[in-house]
Amino acid sequence: MDRALYISMTGAKHNMLAQTVHSNNLANANTTGFRADFAQARSMGVYYGDGHPTRAYALTENPASDFSPGASMQTGRDLDFAIEGEGFVAVQAADGTEAYTRSASLQLTSQGQLLTGNGLPVLGQGGPVFIPPSSKIDIGADGSITTKGANPLELAQPDRIKLVKPDLSQLEKGEDGLFRLRDGTQAPVDGTIRLQSGFLESSNVNAISEFTDVLSLSRQYELSVKMMKTVQGNSESSARLLQSS
Amino acid sequence: MIPALYVSKTGLSAQNTQLSTISNNLANASTVGFKRDRAVFEDLFYQIQRQPGAQSTQDTKLQSGLQVGTGVRVVGTQKEFTSGTPQTTERSLDVAIDGRGFFQMLAPDGEITYTRNGVLHMSGDGEIVNGSGLLLQPAITVPPNTLQLTIGDDGVVSATIAGQVNPQQIGQIETVDFINPGGLQAVGSNLFRQTASSGDPIAGTPGLDGLGAVKQGALENSNVDIVEEMVNMITTQRVYELNSKVISTADQMLQYISQNL
Repeated sequence: MDRALYISMTGAKHNMLAQTVHSNNLANANTTGFRADFAQARSMGVYYGDGHPTRAYALTENPASDFSPGASMQTGRDLDFAIEGEGFVAVQAADGTEAYTRSASLQLTSQGQLLTGNGLPVLGQGGPVFIPPSSKIDIGADGSITTKGANPLELAQPDRIKLVKPDLSQLEKGEDGLFRLRDGTQAPVDGTIRLQSGFLESSNVNAISEFTDVLSLSRQYELSVKMMKTVQGNSESSARLLQSS
Repeated sequence: MIPALYVSKTGLSAQNTQLSTISNNLANASTVGFKRDRAVFEDLFYQIQRQPGAQSTQDTKLQSGLQVGTGVRVVGTQKEFTSGTPQTTERSLDVAIDGRGFFQMLAPDGEITYTRNGVLHMSGDGEIVNGSGLLLQPAITVPPNTLQLTIGDDGVVSATIAGQVNPQQIGQIETVDFINPGGLQAVGSNLFRQTASSGDPIAGTPGLDGLGAVKQGALENSNVDIVEEMVNMITTQRVYELNSKVISTADQMLQYISQNL
């Protein structure tokens, strides 16, 4: 049997995988701070023996995430902030390592620890941030936290949120959806990052381009299936030729 | 089966939760002392199909792998304790807290519940209760023949009694604050209960120690921003539609292969 069938099959299979990447982006079109993933196809040549090098299998990969900023949404909450331009908030991931995220709808625990919306400790200048009991919390443009205690004149600055701006080409998304540096090191604090308190950043998924990709992949998939059908037809014809009548 | 089907399904159910949150906020847009909810989403875990950075040969590495996301998850809802706008009513038993703090109400099970709703009433025995009849704590009883009730900014309640020249101080409204009000459990009827994540209540005098002053004759409106909710509703609906479109596209792909092969 001709191997063309298998080549069409890898095409269809990898279209399905790319379809999943795009549908994950669409499912997260409303997740704050979400960064869309790209998916691209590459041809993997598997050539052996004589004859034309016609055997190239398809391979889907996601080379990077889209780091373009999302839209700012006003919420008016003290513990919400959006990062202007590039930059990330450092958080402690579930496995204890330092990871980076753009999602910043923060909350407090009863011990005063600052957590992200999904419960990960936010890192300050020396480990997780703790905030003393206060009547008002302000997050400044450079991530410094100011709290107002019982007396309006008693202002305290318990910590400053660690903001980093690593080289985007060195960042990769982990299984938990957080970003880490490829070499496993920690990015240094960057004092030039500015943030806006009282805002959240929306997901940067472009719903129209994602859906166009979904449609185009679905047509490409149909082409692969059509090829499989054609190969089947070829194989049937040759079987008929060889039939002893 | 195509994983895209299940990924889009998580998108649909997340948007569904978001819409229920929005509709609850809008339904309570004119509930006194209501605090709006917000659904918090995060991306679900990723499945690594091919590890990025793995060796493809002894000397070369795969520069980019393939990680396929599995959809979206609703982490929970966050209560937003921003203040609502005050509304003047001139009723003597309407009180609003200007700033942080909660009133304490005694629930029928003996536990103290907390509320921002300052619509108070008087029971047949002269006790100050809320709309559902729960006693305000510490309890204040209004003496008979009271002509006028005055509640000061610091919560001191005084009554002008018929036949007496000087008003008589009959009690003090105490408010409490929490380190993390967002951790309170909403139990309906505008009431909240203390949880492990809210921390213990810190009682105090209104207007002191960071607690907001009590304003008589005013109520705190709900902090629901109708325009924001409507905009959220539009994005929710469109994202829902797109996710259901992906499901039908994935379904067509399966249909195509099953009919053509």
